[in-house]
Amino acid sequence: MTVEVEGTVIRLRGACAAEDAEILLSRLQAAPESEIDVTACRHLHGAVVQVLLALRPNVRGMAEDIFLRDWVIPNLAAGR
Amino acid sequence: MDELLEQFLIEGPEQVQQAGEALLALEGGPDDAALVDQAFRAIHTLKGSVGLFDLPAMGRVLHVAEDLLGAWRDGRQTPSRGAVDALIAATGQTERWLGALAATGGGLPADADAVSADLVSRLSRVLDGDAPASAAVPARHIDTAWVEALFRDRELDPTRHPTVTALRYVPDAGCYFRGEDPIAFARAVPDLLALRITRRDPAAPVAIAAYDAYACDLVVELLSAAALEAVKGPFRFVPDQIQLLSWSPPPVPSTPVPPPAPAEGPRSLRVDAGRIDALALLVDELVVAKNALSDLAGQMADGLAPQAAAQILSDRQAALDRLVGRLHRTVMGIRLVPILPLLRRFPPVVRETAIALGKEVDLVVDGQDVQVDKAIVEGLFEPLTHLLRNAVDHGIETTAQRVASGKPARALISLVARREGDHVVIAVTDDGRGMDPARIRQAAAARGLLPARMLDALTDDQVLDLVFRPGFSTAEAVTDLSGRGVGMDAVRAAVGRQGGSVAISSMAGQGTTVRLVLPLNLVLTKVMVVAVAGERYGIPMDGIVETARVEPDRVQPIRAGRAFVLRDTAVPLLPLAGLLGLSEEGRLDGVPCRAVVVRVGGDLVAVEVDAFVGRRDVVLRPLTGLLSAMPGLLGTTLLGDGHLLMVLDVPGLIAAAPGDTAPAGQGAP
Repeated sequence: MTVEVEGTVIRLRGACAAEDAEILLSRLQAAPESEIDVTACRHLHGAVVQVLLALRPNVRGMAEDIFLRDWVIPNLAAGR
Repeated sequence: MDELLEQFLIEGPEQVQQAGEALLALEGGPDDAALVDQAFRAIHTLKGSVGLFDLPAMGRVLHVAEDLLGAWRDGRQTPSRGAVDALIAATGQTERWLGALAATGGGLPADADAVSADLVSRLSRVLDGDAPASAAVPARHIDTAWVEALFRDRELDPTRHPTVTALRYVPDAGCYFRGEDPIAFARAVPDLLALRITRRDPAAPVAIAAYDAYACDLVVELLSAAALEAVKGPFRFVPDQIQLLSWSPPPVPSTPVPPPAPAEGPRSLRVDAGRIDALALLVDELVVAKNALSDLAGQMADGLAPQAAAQILSDRQAALDRLVGRLHRTVMGIRLVPILPLLRRFPPVVRETAIALGKEVDLVVDGQDVQVDKAIVEGLFEPLTHLLRNAVDHGIETTAQRVASGKPARALISLVARREGDHVVIAVTDDGRGMDPARIRQAAAARGLLPARMLDALTDDQVLDLVFRPGFSTAEAVTDLSGRGVGMDAVRAAVGRQGGSVAISSMAGQGTTVRLVLPLNLVLTKVMVVAVAGERYGIPMDGIVETARVEPDRVQPIRAGRAFVLRDTAVPLLPLAGLLGLSEEGRLDGVPCRAVVVRVGGDLVAVEVDAFVGRRDVVLRPLTGLLSAMPGLLGTTLLGDGHLLMVLDVPGLIAAAPGDTAPAGQGAP
C-alpha cells in the first residue's frame, strides 16, 4: 500500500507505481481539498505525476529521495 | 577560442579530407563498400563534433549527408553520379565553413543558412529518390526557445555552463502501457542541471471527473552538463520522441563581445610522440652535461692543475656543443610536417573547377616523404589553389579542342612536391595548350606594362615571366573562377612572403609548368651585424668560427695578401670592404683590426671588418629579380630601425672575388 489516506492528507510512501495513479486519482476526485504528503516517497511514476499536475492538490513535505526533492516536486508546486 | 573548438578545427579538416578522398574515389568505383564506409564514418564524426557547437547550418548539411551515406552503407540506395556530386559539394562547403570558423573564432558567414538550405534540399532530393524539388524536405528548424527559457529560469550561470545538453521528451500517449516511465528516464540522466515536467498543454482545462491517468500527457524538458551521448542513453528506446541538442547560452549583453580575431587560423601543431621523447632524452643528456661541469668546478676548487682543467673543460664544452646542436635540429624537426595532406586537399578543388567549366581533368598529387615547416604549409593553400584553377581554366583546352589536336579528352594536371637540398620544389604541370609568348607580348604591350623596345629585347622565357606582373591577364573574358583581378602576381607575392620564388615554363601545345621553390623552414637566422666603410652588413652566425681582435704586429704580408697566426695556423686576412668592392681608404694601419673568422671549405679565413655591431635574429628574405644573380649575397632583412640589412654569403663572396684578393697561404703552418 503506497497511497495512504489519513483524514484530508494523502501520504505517498515508497515507490509509487503506475497502479497508484488510479487510487490517487479516485481519492482526489472524491476529496479535491486533500493535501499530498511526499515525505516518505522514493519515486513517483509518470502517471502519478500527471495526476498531480492535472488536479493540482497541495503538495507538502520534503521527500527523502533527492531526485524527487530537488527536481520533481518543485514542478508540482510551480504549476500552481 | 575555446579548447573544444580548437580541437575541432584541427580534426575537422582531416575528417572532411577523408570524406572527400573517399567520395572522389567512389566516382571511379561506386560499388566499393569500404569507401562508402570511410566517407560515412568521417561525416558521422564531423556531425557529432559540430553538434557540440552552435552551428545549426553546418549541422543540418552534415545530418542529411550522413543519412544519404547511411542509406548507401545499408544498401537501401546505390551511389549515383549526381548523389556523389552533391556530397562532394557538401564536403567542400563544410571545408570552407571550417576555414571561416578558424578565421572568425567561431562564426559562420552570414549566407550560411541560405547555402545550407540549398545543400540540404539538394541532398534530400537525392535521398528521396530524386523527387521533384518542391517535395524537398525543408530544412528542419530547431526550436531552442524552451532551452533558453529553462536555462534562464534555473538561473544557470552561462560562464559556468558554456555548453549544455538539452533534451525535450514528449512521450506518446500510450507509453505507460509499454511500461515506460518518463520520470524514471529523467532520473537516469547524469549531471542534471534543470528539469521541467509539465502537461502538454498546461493552460487546457482538466475534466476532473473524466480524467484519464493512463493517457500520458507529460512533457519532460531537461538540461544536463553531461555529453550528448550520455544524456541520450536512458532515452535510447524512444529516439522518435525526443529532441536532443547541444546548446550554448548567448553571450551576456553586458559584456562586450571581443572582435573577431584577424583572419589567422589557430596555431597549433600535432607532434609525433616519438619526437617529444627524443627531446626529453636530449634534455636528460643536457642535465648530465651540466652536472659534469659542476664536477669540474669542484675538482678545480680542490686544486686541479689549470692545464688538466682546460683539457677537461674543452672536452665537456665539445660535448655540450654537440648536444645543443642536436637539440636545435630536433626542435626544428618538430616544426616540419608532411606536405602530402595539403596536396591531397586539391583534387576536389580541381574537380569542382573542371565541372564548372565543363572540362574533364584528373589531378595526380605526389609528395611522399616531403616535409616542410608548418608555417610554409599553411601559406601554400591559397597560391596553389590559384595556380590549379588557372591551369584548369586557362591551361586546359576544351574537350573538343583537345580531341581535335589528338590529345586524350581527359586532361592531366600533376602537383608534385619534392625536396631539393634545403628547399622544397612544388611543380604544377598541365598538359594543356601551353603559353604563347607572342600573345603575352601583345597583351603586355596593350596594357603598357613595358615599352615596346624593352619588350622586343626580352627572350621568350622572360616574356613568360611577365604574367607575374601585377594587373596582367591574358584571358579574353575574365572568368568567374580565375578572374576577379587576382592574377599570378598574387601567387608570386604569397610565395614570396614564405621566402620562396616562382618560375614558369611552357611548351606551346604541350603544357605549362609552374615551379614554386620554398625554403624547408621559415625560421630565424642568427646573424652578426658588422660595420664596414660606414655600412652595416650581416654575416650568418652559423658560418662564423670566432671573432678575433688582431694586433697589428701579428699581421704579416704574404705575397699579395696578409695573414696572421691563429693558434698555430696561418689564417689569411681579407678586408671585407675589398671583397665588397668598397673603398678601403678608411682603414688605419697600426691599430688592432677586428676580424670575423669563417670556415671556407676546409680552411679558416678571417674577414676584416671595421666594427662588430651585435647579433640579431632575423627572418632572411631571399633576393629576387636582378639581385638574385649576385654572388655573395644570401638575402636581405629589415632591421628594427627600418634599415635594410644585406646578409652576406662570405664563402660565396670570397669565391667571386677577383684573383688578387683570393686567400693566399692557406694551411701554411
